Parts: sequence; structure tokens; C-alpha cells
Amino acid sequence: MIQLQNIFKWYNTANRPTFILKDVSLTIDEGAFLSIMGPSGSGKTTLLNIMGMLDQPSEGSYHFMGQDVFNLKEKQRKELYKQYIGFVFQAYHLLDELTVYENIETPLLYQGVKSAERKAMVGDMLDRFRIVGKKDLFPSQLSGGQQQLVGVVRALISKPKLILADEPTGNLNSTQGEEIMQLFQQLNKEEGVTIVQVTHSEKNAAFGNRIIQLLDGQVQD
Amino acid sequence: MLKNYITVAFRNLMKHKGFSFINVLGLSIGLTCCMLISLYIYHEYSYDSYHAKGERLYQLGAVFNNEGELEHRATVPSALAVALQQEFPEIEESARLLSLFRDDKTLLQYQESGENVKSFYESKGYVADPSLFKLLAYNFIEGDPATALQNPNTVVVTEEIAEKLFGEESALNKTIRISSNTNGDGDYTITGVFRPHNVPSHIDARFLLSPRGGGLENFFLNSTTLLNNNMFFTYFLLKEGSDAQQLEKKLPAFVERHMGEELKNRGSDRQLFLTNIEDIHLASEIEGNVTPAGSLTYIRILASIAVLTLLIACINFMNLSTSRSSKRSREVGVRKVLGAERSFLIWQFLGESLIMALVAFIFAIVLAVVFLPVFEQLSGRDIILSFQQHGFLLGVYFLLAIITGFIAGSYPAFYLSSFKPVQVLKGRFSSSLSVVSLRKGLVIFQFVISVVLIIASVIISNQMSYLRSKDLGFIKDQQIVIPLRSETAKSSYASLKAQLNSHTSIRSVGGSLNYPGISNPTDWLMYKEGSSAQNAESVVITHVDDSFLQTLGLKAVAGRLFSPDFPADTNNHIILNEKGVAEFGFPSAEEAVGSWVAFDWEGEQYRFDIVGVVNDFHFKDLRVPIQPFGFLLVNAPIYNYLIAHVNQGNMGQTLQVIEERWNALNPNEPFEYSFLDQDFQKNYEAESRLAGMIRYFTIIAILISCLGLFGLATFSAEQRIKEIGIRKVLGASVSSLVALLSKDFLKLVVVSVVLASPIAWYIMHEWLQTFAYRVDISWQVFALTTFLAVMIALVTVSFQAIKAALTNPVKNLRTE
Repeated sequence: MIQLQNIFKWYNTANRPTFILKDVSLTIDEGAFLSIMGPSGSGKTTLLNIMGMLDQPSEGSYHFMGQDVFNLKEKQRKELYKQYIGFVFQAYHLLDELTVYENIETPLLYQGVKSAERKAMVGDMLDRFRIVGKKDLFPSQLSGGQQQLVGVVRALISKPKLILADEPTGNLNSTQGEEIMQLFQQLNKEEGVTIVQVTHSEKNAAFGNRIIQLLDGQVQD
Repeated sequence: MLKNYITVAFRNLMKHKGFSFINVLGLSIGLTCCMLISLYIYHEYSYDSYHAKGERLYQLGAVFNNEGELEHRATVPSALAVALQQEFPEIEESARLLSLFRDDKTLLQYQESGENVKSFYESKGYVADPSLFKLLAYNFIEGDPATALQNPNTVVVTEEIAEKLFGEESALNKTIRISSNTNGDGDYTITGVFRPHNVPSHIDARFLLSPRGGGLENFFLNSTTLLNNNMFFTYFLLKEGSDAQQLEKKLPAFVERHMGEELKNRGSDRQLFLTNIEDIHLASEIEGNVTPAGSLTYIRILASIAVLTLLIACINFMNLSTSRSSKRSREVGVRKVLGAERSFLIWQFLGESLIMALVAFIFAIVLAVVFLPVFEQLSGRDIILSFQQHGFLLGVYFLLAIITGFIAGSYPAFYLSSFKPVQVLKGRFSSSLSVVSLRKGLVIFQFVISVVLIIASVIISNQMSYLRSKDLGFIKDQQIVIPLRSETAKSSYASLKAQLNSHTSIRSVGGSLNYPGISNPTDWLMYKEGSSAQNAESVVITHVDDSFLQTLGLKAVAGRLFSPDFPADTNNHIILNEKGVAEFGFPSAEEAVGSWVAFDWEGEQYRFDIVGVVNDFHFKDLRVPIQPFGFLLVNAPIYNYLIAHVNQGNMGQTLQVIEERWNALNPNEPFEYSFLDQDFQKNYEAESRLAGMIRYFTIIAILISCLGLFGLATFSAEQRIKEIGIRKVLGASVSSLVALLSKDFLKLVVVSVVLASPIAWYIMHEWLQTFAYRVDISWQVFALTTFLAVMIALVTVSFQAIKAALTNPVKNLRTE
């Protein structure tokens, strides 16, 4: 599903390049649950962002579902992204001005899904994750775990094939964290959603079926 | 999608109430200014737009060569209309209009059944050809416009006058007495009553007299001169299909054929031109039209003020929105991660500004309705609009609001939507340098506008107070002016004067045909002893009685004044002013006395011995320099005005005394009076209006700018809250923190003053050129303005700065 080849990412500071990623090559198959670990500043988030097409490498190539991502036109890449990828953040990043319902609905708006269909899809999700009662609350009225749950539901609403999670449990206590992890596991096993998560926690990493270590921008084998 | 935009926009507005309030208020004020001013401009352009034959209606004008200076005037000799119509088949019909030029007020009287006489003064009277009602659209509610003024001694009045005279009764065929300084006294039959149109006209007539039957009949109908007596407004209706420009091209040949020789003898020339009736009101190059022309300059000034205030409000919006970008950046990032295209986000932000503009639009409509009366007073125009016009304007304003929303929202929309999610979601956000400097540039621009306006209003009010306080060369205070309209009033002058003179509170009483500050139509081309008509000087002439000069407090520089001791002065003796003596070329005032000046009329010389020279005084307003002036003594009851110089003290009582005496002598005429100083000030009405308007709009511009500055200061304090906390922990004092936060803004204001001063100087220098007597633009004006601008900015900014500096640092430094 994901083929990263010889990915480099660097910034120029004082005319000398500072490397974030150094020659990373990685293949992730569909249905995998991969955990990326490594100390702060090792390039985990950058790698995740590149996979999520939010960032571009300085060098290297990226094939997603057989398509050469960085040779696509901006518009095609956006389409690819909208269709297949969902993001989950450490800080949840819910939109404060929108209710739970509206937050979950937003990606569908951007995909141009019709109103009736949207209603049905959001309704299904609310049911499935048992948050119907919270649909009219604003994010500030929810606990951290609930907010992250909404974040995950929002990522799932467009039925993505890949979920990219950047320290999804970083701001949660251990019980809440575990619930999210179990949810990820379930999605991975039952629905075949590919999951790539960045995490500091060995315990959370163990929920996945593959772990890679990143150190100074290089994958450690 | 649209619903989502609107909900988000509304929630954002409600969540940031302060921000929304500042923006909506600023935009509302800006829009209100635009609405009011555009109403005024609309009104100015709507003059005479209602005439059915408007496209074919033209006013004849003439260009006079006044010693090399070309003067466009709207008045021509009466015979010209006839002569042109005879010669040019293009002219279907013509009509002449003559103002009762000597009457600032005319007395109208109606003898009701029995002894009771209803009488009151009316202004805006004219003598008009009967054909006037064929050419121009008049809305007759009684009588027949086709025949109304054909019979001698007939009059057409407005509905309002008819109501005043007869109440509910029909006015048609009733006879009233009209006493005019210009047209004499006479009985007139009312043959028409009209209701003025809602749309304004340059002809403001309240009553129109037939040419036949009045004192002006001969002058109006039988005069043959094509060069002299340039007093008539002349209107032509051109035949369908004929071209005014083509006709205009034939006029020089006409002038040459009929007047060429005489003009050559005079060493002068004359051109004729046509002005379409719809263009008359704004043809400000034409002097002396029926009503003063609207000023295009004035319209331009107001239009720029309207645009500028709205621009200031838009700038506020842009500045506040971009300064808030750090708060909105996360939202942009998240939305992009959720799949939003940039164009979606642009529309979302534009939607927010559009909603704000529409809310502002509603407020602005309310404000405009509330402030319309104030504005009408300020602008001196009654703005009356029909229902259709209301609808049209409302549509235009709605469009204006939408455009405003787009302009104000465009920059923030493009700027905010450009954020990259990777950067903003990490929380590493800082405004780029270019955005910050653009914001500073916009603040400077705003303040340049405000400072220019401040300087302009200071200079204008300086000039206005100069106009009020300048020594005019005569005593203008404590002078009561009483108009004498009817023959009865005029002949009662001598007894009234004698009775008033005996009263202790009245110092002196004089009579004259004219007094300083009102228009004086009489001037003679005179030359001095030993010279000839070729070297004639134009001298303004007025006839006075033997105590008028003393009453006005004019001083004899040489020779003497007229007085009861020299009754023989009626015998062609003249008193000149110093300017006259100098222009004639007398070596000194003393030497002028005993010499003579004269004019020629139809081959005969009329000579006037100079018996005195008085100090120069301003008989016209201070826009124009003092010209040669001559007083002649007349000892007959023809004075138009009685002027009483009264002691300081109880003015009410004095007026009561005068009124009693007046009523005893003139039982059928209402007692009216005015004060000379106020009459003189009326000449500056346009300037007073301009001053008033600019003052108001200056305040508004400052207000909107300050709103924006306040908003910016709030956000700047918020953004630097951590820095303030750290500095406080390190021991910074409150005052040093306030200085730190205010300094940046004050710098901007100072830069604005530096940029604005030369612009303001240039504009005001140009404006002051319209006055022959004017104040200098001193450095104090700029010092005062700088001080004002800095103080205003400081007060605005320091409020937030102090608030931020006083906050407990523990609160500021806590992280989530």
C-alpha cells in the first residue's frame, strides 16, 4: 500500500543542511498496524506527515496504492488523500466552534457528499460508537478521551483505508488510551483498516503487528 | 455547505464579541457615511431631471470679458431671447425669467372681508414670460399653465403661499397686493397655484409675476439693447431633432452681426453659450444663476470622505482579521487535514466578512434614517425621495455592503487560507514580516486620513473665526436692519427715524438702498477729472441718507461725510472709499476732495463732485478684495432699509420699542428685522456647512481609526502576554510595560503625522486661495494636530497596555 523509497528531508540552517530524515525506505502492506517509535526529534511526525501527503520530502519517491504521489497533480493528490486517508492527532484538533455532530460531518462536506447521505453516515457512526447523546455538545464540554474518540470517528467517517495517528493517546490517561488502542485494533482486525501510529509508549506500540524504530532520521533494524 | 458556513460564521462572531462589535460598528459607521453622502450627491445630480422636454431645454449664458478675465454668467439682455428666436428656426420657443433682484423679501397682502389685512413677507419672487410654463414642467393644482401669466397684473404662487393667504379656500382669481422694491407696488390676480416637484429645480420660485402691469414691464418687454441690462435668465426649447452644439456654433456669427461694432467701440467682446437644463445646477463656472450652483468641488470632497471612511473601516477589518490569524490558523490547519480545498476556506472567510457587512448594513440603514435630519441640516439640503427612488437606493446600498464585505474580507481570506497545516498544527505560528508591515502600513494610511482631516478642520475653523472677527471697516455689531418694502413703509421712514432717534437706547438711525453684506446690483463705469470713458473704473454705488455713514461708523479720511448740515450734497456730490481714490489715480485722498468723477450716458457726461473720502470697508464678503465704492446722498423716501445702531444693553426692550413705533406707522405690515452682523455672516453659509461637515466626518474618521487601533492593541497585548509576564517576573514596572506596548503604535501615528502634514498643507492652501482675506497656515496648527493625534492614539492604546501590564504574571505564564 505504501512504498517509501530513499526519503530524505532536510532544512538549511546557516547554509548547512540539517537532516530530519535520512534515506528512509519503508513498505507497508494493506491491513498492517504499524507503530513508529523513537525519541523526540527523530523525525517520526515528519515521516507520518509525508505519508499523509501533508508534507513533501526533499528527495525520494512515494507510491501510495500504486500511484506515484509526488508526480501527481495537486488536485489528484488531494482526491487520493480525501478518499483514502484519515488523520488522528495528539491534541485532537476538533473544531471548537462546531458540535460533535458537525465535527464528524465536516470531512463529508468537503467530499461533496449529499445532505441525506451525510445524515445517514454520521448517524451510523454516532450509533456505532455510542455517542448519540453527545452529538450536540461542543468539544469543550467533553473529556479528553471523549474528544479523542470524536477525533477518531471523524477520521473514520469517510471510510479511509489508512489511518495516520500522531501520538493519539499522548494527552490521555492510561484507561482512555487503552480504549482508543483497542478501538484501533478492532478497526484493523475487523475492517482491515491500515493503521500507522506514532507513539512513545511500548505498551501502545504492542497493540500493532509491526514496530519500527526511528533514530536521527534513520530506520533502525 | 452554505448552512455550515453560516453557522460557523455566526458562532465565530458570537464567540469573539469584542472583535465582531468593533468590526460591525466600524463598518456600520462607514456605510452610514457613504449612504448619507451618496444621498446628497444623488440629490445634487437630480436637479431639473423631471422636465418632460428636458433634453431640448437650454439656458442661454454669456461670457463677459472683464478686463481680460473671462466671466461666465447666466444672465443676458431681455431682447436677446427675441432676436435669437427670430433668427434661428431651431428655437421653438423661449422664456425669460427675471429675479426681483432688489427684494430679499417681498410684501404680500390680502384684504379679507372687512378691515382685516393679512400680510406677510415672501422671498424668491420672479417676473416670468407666460411661455415659461410651456417650457418647464410645473405642477399646477389650480389655473391653466398655458394662459396663467398672459394678462397684466397676474401672479402664480406656490400651494404653500396660497394656503397661507386663503387657507382651504380656492386662491384662483383672488386679488392680492404685492409690494416690491424691484417691481413697485400693485394689485395682482392669482391665475395659478402650483405644487413644487419633489425633485429639486435650480429655479426656486415661490411666486411668479406677469411681465405686464408691473414696474419692470418696459424693462422686461420693450428693451432693445443686446449688450446692456444683463439681468435676464433666458430659456430655449429647441425643435425636435435640432442639435444644441450646432446652434452654439452659429452664435459667434450672430454676436458679430448684431453687436460687433458696439463691442469693438467698447474694446470688449462677448460670447454666448447654451447649458442643458439638467446641467445647470452643477455648472458652477456660471456665476449668478437663479440659485447658487452646487459645487462639484464640494461633491468631490464629500465623495472622497465617503470613500475614505469606508476604506478606514475596511482596513480595520483587514487588520483585526489578520492580527487574529494566530487564533484561526489551527482551524485552517484542521480543515485542510479534513480535506478542505483552499477555495472552500476562502469562501468561508469571505462568508464571514459578508455576514458582518450585512449586519453592518442593517445597522447602517437604521443609523442613516436616524441621522438624516442632522445631515440635512448640515448639508443645507432637504432630501426628499420618492418610493421608487428609495427602492433603487436600497438596492444600491445593499450592493455597496456586499462589495464592502468582499473588499474587507478578501485579504484576510486569502491570507488565512494560505496556511500550511503541518506548520500551524505544530503550534509554531508567527505572522510573517510582510504581513506585519502591511498591517502597519494600513494603520499609517488610516491615520494619515484622520490627520489630514484634523488639520483641515483646524484650519477651516481658524479661517471661519477670522471671517467672523475680522475688522470690516464699519461697525457691524448692534446694528438692526429693518426692511422697508411698501410705498407706505418707505414714506414713513422720516417719521420713524425721528421717533427712534429720540429714544435713548438708539444711538443713530440711517437709511439706504443697500447695506454691506447683501448684493448690490448698481455699479457705474466712472472716470476722473482729466481722463475719459476709455479709462473708466467700475464703482459700486449706493444711495444713502444724511446719517447712514455715521450710523455705520465710517470715518472720513479726507473731506467730510454727508450730514444734515449739507443738504445740497444731493446735488451730485459723491463720497468715495480709499480704494476708489487709489484706483482712479488720485495722488492722495486730500487731493481727490474737490475734484470730480463722471460717467457718460448716451453721449452726455454726468459729473459728481467728490466731497469726502471714507476708509475702506468690506461691503462684500471676504472672499473678494475691496473694490471702489461710492456713496450718493438722496433725500427722498426711496430707502430700502432702515439701519438702527443701538446701545448695548436690553436688546429685547429696544426691539419692542421699535416694533411699537413701526406698528403705529405701518399698521398693515408685519415688523421684521435682522442683525447686520448675522446678515454679513450669511455669505459664508457654504463655508460654514463645509466646516460643519468636515468637523463631523473628522470625528467619525478618528472614531473608526481608534476602534481599529483599540482592537489591534488588544490583540498585540494578548499576543505578548507571555513576554509581559516574563518581564514582570524580572522586575519591570507597570509604566515601563505600558511604554513598551504603546511605543510601537505611537511610532506609527508620528509617521502618519509626518506624511499627512504636507498633503493637508497643500489641500488647505488651495482652499484658502478662494478668500481674498485669509489666515496663514502656521506651524502651530501642525503642532496642535500632532499633539491631538498622539494623545488620541495614546488614550486608545494605553487602556489595553495598562490592563495587560497590571495582570498577575502567574496567570500569563501558566501553560495549558
